[in-house]
Amino acid sequence: MGFRRWLLILVWVAGMSWTAQGKQLAVIADTANPTTNLTTAELVKIVNARTQTWPDGRAIKLIVRDPSCADMQLVVHRLLAMTPEQAQAFVQAHRGAIVLAGSDDAVVKFVSTNRGAIGIVDLYSLTKDVKVLKIDGKLPVEQGYVLRGNSQ
Amino acid sequence: MALMVSIALLAATAGHAQLAVRHAAVLPLTTKSPEARRLAEEAMMLDLDQVEQAKAIEMLRKTVKIDPDFAMAHEFLTQISLDPAEQVSEQQKAFATRNHASAGERLAIEWYQDAMDHKLISAIVKMNDLLSRYPHDKWVVWMTTWWLTTQTQYERSIEVYERSGIPDSPGLMNNMGYSYAYLRQFDKAFAQMDKYVAALPQDANPQDSYAEILRMAGRFQESIEHYRASLAIDPEFYSSQFGIADTYSLMGDQTQARKEYEAGFRKFSLPELHKILWQTREATTYVREGDYQEADRAFHAIVEYTHSKNMSQVEADTYRQMAMYQQKAKHGLALLKKADAALHEGKNAMQAAIRQESAQILRARVEIALKGRNKKTVGSSLAKLAELSQSSDDKVIDSAYHGAGGAVAFSDGKYNEAIAHLEEDENNPLSLELLAAAYQNSGDRAQAQHTAETLANFNDPSLEQALVVPTFRTCYQDPSCSGSIKSGEKQQQRRRSHPLLM
Repeated sequence: MGFRRWLLILVWVAGMSWTAQGKQLAVIADTANPTTNLTTAELVKIVNARTQTWPDGRAIKLIVRDPSCADMQLVVHRLLAMTPEQAQAFVQAHRGAIVLAGSDDAVVKFVSTNRGAIGIVDLYSLTKDVKVLKIDGKLPVEQGYVLRGNSQ
Repeated sequence: MALMVSIALLAATAGHAQLAVRHAAVLPLTTKSPEARRLAEEAMMLDLDQVEQAKAIEMLRKTVKIDPDFAMAHEFLTQISLDPAEQVSEQQKAFATRNHASAGERLAIEWYQDAMDHKLISAIVKMNDLLSRYPHDKWVVWMTTWWLTTQTQYERSIEVYERSGIPDSPGLMNNMGYSYAYLRQFDKAFAQMDKYVAALPQDANPQDSYAEILRMAGRFQESIEHYRASLAIDPEFYSSQFGIADTYSLMGDQTQARKEYEAGFRKFSLPELHKILWQTREATTYVREGDYQEADRAFHAIVEYTHSKNMSQVEADTYRQMAMYQQKAKHGLALLKKADAALHEGKNAMQAAIRQESAQILRARVEIALKGRNKKTVGSSLAKLAELSQSSDDKVIDSAYHGAGGAVAFSDGKYNEAIAHLEEDENNPLSLELLAAAYQNSGDRAQAQHTAETLANFNDPSLEQALVVPTFRTCYQDPSCSGSIKSGEKQQQRRRSHPLLM
């Protein structure tokens, strides 16, 4: 093991060990949802519970991880523009509109089995049972994607 | 693998339905030859649990000769081969023969193909699909945790391992020890290493891994003791010999380091890539001493060797590394031209590796042009890098782009913009150094302190570490020099510690 890592560095370019650790979050919907793209403004309204239906009239069910968890800090800072404490209080006050899940897998499972559901998960939790929504025309792997990088 | 299959059969026969269901989820290995299957299983056991990589490679070569349509054996060989040409050809064969394999095997092969083709989302989806089908299969867990590690997804890698319920695989204990170490959770890493050593007390690799993790934690003397313990168990375990050399180099004793490298080269016949790796490390000892003439001589020898072996990407990367330590920008830029030319030949290199190397060269060109105040080259190189990054979803390329973008923003005094970029390249000492300074200058004392501490404790025997960390550490440990670094107070825009680095 000790040296297999270095093999990769040479084969895949000296730099594999320096790859970034910035977070990449994906916004997911059920596979039957016709929406493919949201603007950041539209996403913010969904996360703020101001928009509660899809364009076809179906109810939006938002499911996210607990705002205090590390993975959610990008959402808390960039979409809600709140402190973690404020986000916690906000979620408590919107229990009906926002569902909290204990893990990314639970978010994916909920979204895949509930029409109209939308969730936010770590990119590496994606499965074939959900679709990834573009934000401002960008996928999570693209430069300039809003839910990518550090939490600030 | 063989053990798990046996357990599954035994359990089913005994009528323990529940146990059988759990163990039945074993990734099938599809081949018309029972001998090929046996060899492949044995090879992977050797590679994973005993780290006998060279023997495992030989076995897999035999395996695919026996059954050239054994897709998964081609895939395993791709992943553990030490020969870039073989990696390229074996991946092609795995992909071409995948229709002879089961659905699970096809998924594994396509996942790796997608990863190589920079189709990251598709690769992740396939990985998770495979994992959901075989969450307890040792090879699936190994492939998943390993790939996640290469993606720096250490936490998720640990999660997959813990959920697998596989308590007795020494190879996975080893991998998890490294994952904890990369997260700098050294207590957990050492706990894994203790388990690993206890599981294989007569094997060299547990001691070798323990040594490497101790070195990452900065415990150099203990590291050397464990490397020596490894060699005492197996005098042929060459990575420990070179581990000692690397450790002396990190400790600052370059003369002793070179003695240890040379002893290793005399004693062992090494696979090509390992030989080049440690020749590069030996060449780097001269950079650490500031003896750039000797460094040039040593790096040139590596360039000639890699050229003679038609290893284009490795040759290009050697030129790139030479460029990075040059004292004059024009020399650095000239070497990068040679790097481009070597890469253009593209011999025995995967397309993904060529694109990644191209990004690394562009990043180096930005850094060097900044030093030479060559704005035109800075701008054009950064633009090409941005384009490369936009058109791929490759973490190495993205990191190169952000490292370069951060360096440019920093030099323009745009600290917040620099921070946004540099945070995306925060395992690279070149970026970490600028990031600490950018945090300081933007008034974020806590992050400045944290970043400075991370950089001062960065113990990786790479050229980038050699260029940045020793000087930074000296300053960090000297109160008269490090006052503002440690307290995170705002300071004047400073030049980096090495002449090349602005």
